[in-house]
Amino acid sequence: MDTKITAFFKTAAYSALIGSGIFWASCQGSGSGNSGNNNVFARHWPDTVLTGDVTAELTAPPLVPKPLTYTSPKRVKVHMTVEEKVMKISDSSDYTFWTFNGSVPGSFIRVREGDMVEFTLTNSPNSKVSHNIDLHAVNGPGGGAEASNVAPGQSATFNFRALNPGLYVYHCATGPVGMHIANGMYGLILVEPAAGLPKVDREYYVMQGDFYTKGRFDAPGLQEFDEQKAIDENPTYVLFNGKVRGNAGKNALTANVGETVRLYVGNGGPNLTSSFHVIGEIFDKVYMEGGKDVNENVQTTVIPAGGSSIVEMQMEVPGTMNIVDHALYRTFHKGALAQIKVAGNENPNIYNKIKK
Amino acid sequence: MKSSQQLQSKAGRQSLFILRIFIFTLSIFFLQIADLQSHPTTISKTNGSKPLVKKMVLVPAGWYQPFLKRATNKPIAVKALKMDETTVTNAEFLTFVKANPIWRKTKVNPLFADKNYLAHWKSDLEIGTGNLNNPNAPVVNVSWFAARAYAQWAGKRLPTVPEWEHAGNGKPKDLKNKTLIAYILEWYSKPNPTILPPVKSTYQNQYGLWDMNGLVWQWVFDFNSFVASSDSRGSNTDEALMFCAAGSLGVQNKEDYASYIRFSYRGSLKGKYCIPNLGFRCVKDL
Repeated sequence: MDTKITAFFKTAAYSALIGSGIFWASCQGSGSGNSGNNNVFARHWPDTVLTGDVTAELTAPPLVPKPLTYTSPKRVKVHMTVEEKVMKISDSSDYTFWTFNGSVPGSFIRVREGDMVEFTLTNSPNSKVSHNIDLHAVNGPGGGAEASNVAPGQSATFNFRALNPGLYVYHCATGPVGMHIANGMYGLILVEPAAGLPKVDREYYVMQGDFYTKGRFDAPGLQEFDEQKAIDENPTYVLFNGKVRGNAGKNALTANVGETVRLYVGNGGPNLTSSFHVIGEIFDKVYMEGGKDVNENVQTTVIPAGGSSIVEMQMEVPGTMNIVDHALYRTFHKGALAQIKVAGNENPNIYNKIKK
Repeated sequence: MKSSQQLQSKAGRQSLFILRIFIFTLSIFFLQIADLQSHPTTISKTNGSKPLVKKMVLVPAGWYQPFLKRATNKPIAVKALKMDETTVTNAEFLTFVKANPIWRKTKVNPLFADKNYLAHWKSDLEIGTGNLNNPNAPVVNVSWFAARAYAQWAGKRLPTVPEWEHAGNGKPKDLKNKTLIAYILEWYSKPNPTILPPVKSTYQNQYGLWDMNGLVWQWVFDFNSFVASSDSRGSNTDEALMFCAAGSLGVQNKEDYASYIRFSYRGSLKGKYCIPNLGFRCVKDL
């Protein structure tokens, strides 16, 4: 009996101690800037001494590479291949996408603040045109594009130091730039802060883009790029991850009740700004524009073309959460829909449908 | 009097020896260059092999409006010339390499052609049967140096950018309700065909030229004279501006996406590159 009581008090005392520690730490953290846990992406000049070589894990959407485990700057090798390939843009329509590593958006790249990225871009020998890459995470002319214009079958390599933590868009910048982007040539690179990101249960990669085809929405067959529609900013498709319902239905993202989901969201454009919204959820946190400042309790966040955002939400109840561009004609008529299917027990304390 | 050689020390003799080797190496180097220059004539004289007779058509004199707008830029006069009716074919290029062993795929100097030189051919003197190997299909995987050597051997030369663009702007005889730009953009919208079609499989223009667009890209003599750097958006040269969103104002017709892509493509090339969708045709002055 006595030992049990002692143990109980011990536990209570330790909990209080740890709890007050956390409270103190959080007070310290919120001393400057906005409220809460907001300085994850704060910039400081990183260590620059490289401590080894690694090859970056690259993932096709909607997957994200695993969080980085190393704690000092590395030379990170990233190798991407440009492929021009015909893929489904909708169930009935094909389109010749121009891609980084064969997917739209291109592979997700994850590096750490302070890393020296050794980037090699290869243009597939089967490509028809030349391509390059401009990464918004680069401090340097053209974001690397100047160093990487590659003819079909050729490769180019350049180095850049990941100085600013945050989530950045990359895209092809070969003329005409708009057409290369309209054909799907964009993706995201995450520069993790040196101290890492708070742990979450699931991370996904979602990127919006607008597409312009000669044929109408879902017209059968191989569709041509429509230059005039692009100039008029009148897209035939507005899509998440390059295909109508590409991440909906049986290909929906998944999560369980109680889990926190982090979405790395980009907008490739080339033209539209996204009113990014998840029907049935509130963003507990938004790393606005993929940068340092965190907003909380956000319903809809704006993501400019060539910009990004990181949103986090805890899934409180089961069901299907629809990811949309809340400029809703894009969702209902042009394909801007993805889904998160949340499994688990109902939680009537939070949401309850009254049965009559 | 003793000869100069007897006077020399051992060290002196050694340095003289090194000097001789150096001169010997240097002369071999120059000989190789001279060889390259002179090969066309010497070879065709010695073994009597001559280029196949290829039909050329007259491209009348005209004006080329440079794609890039500059304060100083004016339309460039293009003299009348003769241009190959089609791009050079595999069969024609085979005649060339038969006559010019230094341009065979296993013999070629790597300075003048990268490892993809004639990569689709079966061997030095066999075209083979792959997807790119129709004897009447355009020869591809040839470097600028090889194209230039072919042109010299044939008594011709490569067209310049203004010459090619002037000729390429010729109106199509039959494109069924499409503008030339729309036709070219449609070509870009499709992946490279698995099997490269023969020449004369696309369209003929008003001068009688076949396949100026829509079959393969074509080398020009001054392919790299126009685009100073490859992503020129950020650079301060005005060439550069044409790639920039804002700088698209700097091109003659900012809706001419076909030309954009052609100039971007040329800007990404180096003389030794050999690419599966890049061939060439020749011209001759009148």
